[in-house]
Amino acid sequence: MNVLIIEDEKALARELEIFLTNYNYICEVCFDGTSASEKVAVNLYDFILIDLGLPDYEGLDLLKEAKKNNPDAAYIILTARAEIYDRIKGLDMGADDYLAKPFSLLELQSRMQAITRRKFGLKNNVVELGDFMVNLTDRVITCNGTEITSITKKEFDLVAYLILHKNRTVTRNQLSEHIWGSIINDDYDSNYIDAHIKNIRKKLNAWASPDWLETVRGLGYKIKINT
Amino acid sequence: MKLRTKLTLFNTISKLVIVTLFVLLLPVLIKNINQNYTDSRLRKQKDKVLQTVKDLGIKYYIQNGESYAGYTPIKDVYVSLDEDTLNEDLDNIQNEVRKVEGDTIAYRILSHNFSIDKKKYLLEIGISQDTVNERTAPLQSIAFLVLVTMIILTIVADQLYSDYILRPLNLIIKTKLVGNKFPNFGSYKQVRTTTSDFQHLDISIHQMIRTIESTFQKEREFISNASHELMTPISILQSKIENMFEEEDIADELKVRLLEMQKILNRLKSITKTLLLISQIENDQFLKEDKTTIGALLQDVYDEISIRLQDKNISYEAIIPENWVLVNINKFLMFNLFFNLVNNAIKYNKEGGEIRIEAVKENSAFVVKITDTGLGIIATDLPFIFNRFKKLRQSLQQESFGLGLPIVKSIADFHRIKIEVESEKDKGSTFKLIFPAELVV
Repeated sequence: MNVLIIEDEKALARELEIFLTNYNYICEVCFDGTSASEKVAVNLYDFILIDLGLPDYEGLDLLKEAKKNNPDAAYIILTARAEIYDRIKGLDMGADDYLAKPFSLLELQSRMQAITRRKFGLKNNVVELGDFMVNLTDRVITCNGTEITSITKKEFDLVAYLILHKNRTVTRNQLSEHIWGSIINDDYDSNYIDAHIKNIRKKLNAWASPDWLETVRGLGYKIKINT
Repeated sequence: MKLRTKLTLFNTISKLVIVTLFVLLLPVLIKNINQNYTDSRLRKQKDKVLQTVKDLGIKYYIQNGESYAGYTPIKDVYVSLDEDTLNEDLDNIQNEVRKVEGDTIAYRILSHNFSIDKKKYLLEIGISQDTVNERTAPLQSIAFLVLVTMIILTIVADQLYSDYILRPLNLIIKTKLVGNKFPNFGSYKQVRTTTSDFQHLDISIHQMIRTIESTFQKEREFISNASHELMTPISILQSKIENMFEEEDIADELKVRLLEMQKILNRLKSITKTLLLISQIENDQFLKEDKTTIGALLQDVYDEISIRLQDKNISYEAIIPENWVLVNINKFLMFNLFFNLVNNAIKYNKEGGEIRIEAVKENSAFVVKITDTGLGIIATDLPFIFNRFKKLRQSLQQESFGLGLPIVKSIADFHRIKIEVESEKDKGSTFKLIFPAELVV
C-alpha cells in the first residue's frame, strides 16, 4: 500500500518511514505543505498521514485539497496541538482518524489496519491460534466452536493488539498505552498488563493451552503465528 | 466587627458618657448660676438702698435711732438697716438662718456696713433660700431636655452620614472581595466615590486583580505552550526507541535498556499530557454538554480499574441511586475525575482493603463519597494535597508524580463541584464530592 507522510519534523518523518516500510508499506515523505500539495495532485495513495502543524500550509486546507485528487485515500491526522476542536474539525472534514503526538508507532499501525479493514470490508477476519479461533470482526474467541465468554473487553483488546503485531515483542508500555492511553492519570509505570495476561492465560487454559502467547522475559509479550 | 458598627458604637457611647457627666454636673452648675444671679440681685438692691441714703439722707430709713426693717408678706425678701456697733468693715454675702416673727427661714444674706456722720450703720438684705431653689428645678429640666434632644439628633445625623460616607466601601467589599470567587476575573466596574481613600482602595484592588489575572494567564499560557512544544520531541524520541526495539540485530540486554528509556520517556509523556490537560481545563477548552448516570460513569471506571482492585485484593462497593443523572458535564473529564479518585483509593489502600462509593442526598445537596481503608493523610498535609507535584512523605510509591489530585481539583472546579476531604492516619480517607444542583436531575 502506498503511504504519503506529510511531516515537517524530519526526524519523525524518517522514523515513520522506517517503521511503515518494515510493515511492508511503500512510503513517500514530504517535509512541507507545498511539495505535499504537488504530490497529491499527481499521485494516488492509499494512506495520507498529515501533520496539522506545517510551517507553510494550513493542515486542514491541505486535507481539503488532497481529498479532491485522492478521494479514496484514508487520511490520518497527526498533531502536537491536541486541541479538542482541531480533532472534531479534522474528523468533520473527512479525516479517517486522528492521532495526537506523541503516539506509539504500533498504535498508528493498528489504526491503519482498522481503517483498512473498514474500507476494504474484510469479512473473514479470523485468526487461528492453536486450538483457538480469534474473530477480530465479531470480537470473540472460540475453542472447538464454543465461544469463551469469560474473556472481557479489555482482555480481548490485548489479544487483538498482539495478533495485529504478531511475531513481534510488544512491550508493556505499548500495551498499556493501547488500552489505557486515553486515561489521564498519575501513574507512569503500571504493571497491570501482567495481571491481565495472567487472567487471559488462566481463562484460556481451562479450554486448551495458550502456548502461542509468549512472555518475552524482561521485555514484553508476543503472539507467535507461523505463516 | 464592621466598621460601621464600630463607628456607631463609639458615637453612642461617647455621647452617653458626655450626657451622664453633664447630668451629674447639672445640679451643681445650676446652683452656682442661681447663686451668682441672687448675689448680683442682692448687690443691686444694696446699691439702690445706698443711693436712697445718699439722696434722701439716712433719716429716710432711721429716725430717732430706731432701726428699719421691712419684708414682704411671705417673708421671702427682707431688708434691715440698723446702727452698728462693730468697728470692722463688713461687706459679704453668706447663707444664714434668721428668725422672722416666729418663722425660722434660711436666707442668703448680704451684709454691708457704712458710716454717715460718724455713725456706723449695718445694712442687711436677704432673699430666702426657697426662692432661690424654686428656680433650680425648672432650669434643670429644661437644660436636660435640650441636651437629650441634641444628643439624639446628633446620633441620628452621625448615623446617616456614616452610612452615606461608607456606602462605597461597602460596595467595594460586597462586589469585589466577597460573594464571588476572589479574585473575580470578570469585568471590573469602578465604584463611584468622592472619598479619595476609597478611590485609592478601589484602584489598588483593580490593579492587584489585573496583576493576578495576567500572572494566572501567563502561567496558563506557559504551561499550554510548553507542554505543546514538548509533544513533538517526545514523539520523535518515542518513535526512535520503538524502531530501534524492533531491529533484529539488537541484543536483548540492549533491548532491556531501550525499554528503560521508554519507561522514562513515558513518565515525561504522562507529566506533559497531564499538564496540558489541566491547562486546557483551566482555559475552558472543554464543552459541558454530556449527560450520563453516575452509575454508568462509575461502571466505566470500574471496567478500567477492576484489574487493579483484583491485583491488590481490594473489595469495591458502590451504592448509587438509579435515578441520578448528571447533566451539563464533560463525560471524558468526569470519567477522569472518578478514575483518579478511585485509583488513589486503590494506590494508597492496604492489601485486602475496602473501597466504598456512596451517592447520597445531604440537605438537598447531591454528594458522592469515596471512602478507602488506606494510609490516610495526616492533618497537617491535608491543605496541600491538591498542589501540583506535591508528593506527601507517606506516599512511598515511586510510580506517581503528584498530579492525580490536581487533575481531580481542576475537573471539579471546572464543573463547580466542591471537594471535602476527611482523613485519619492509618484508617483511611473519604473524598466527598458535592455537586451543584444544576448538574444533577
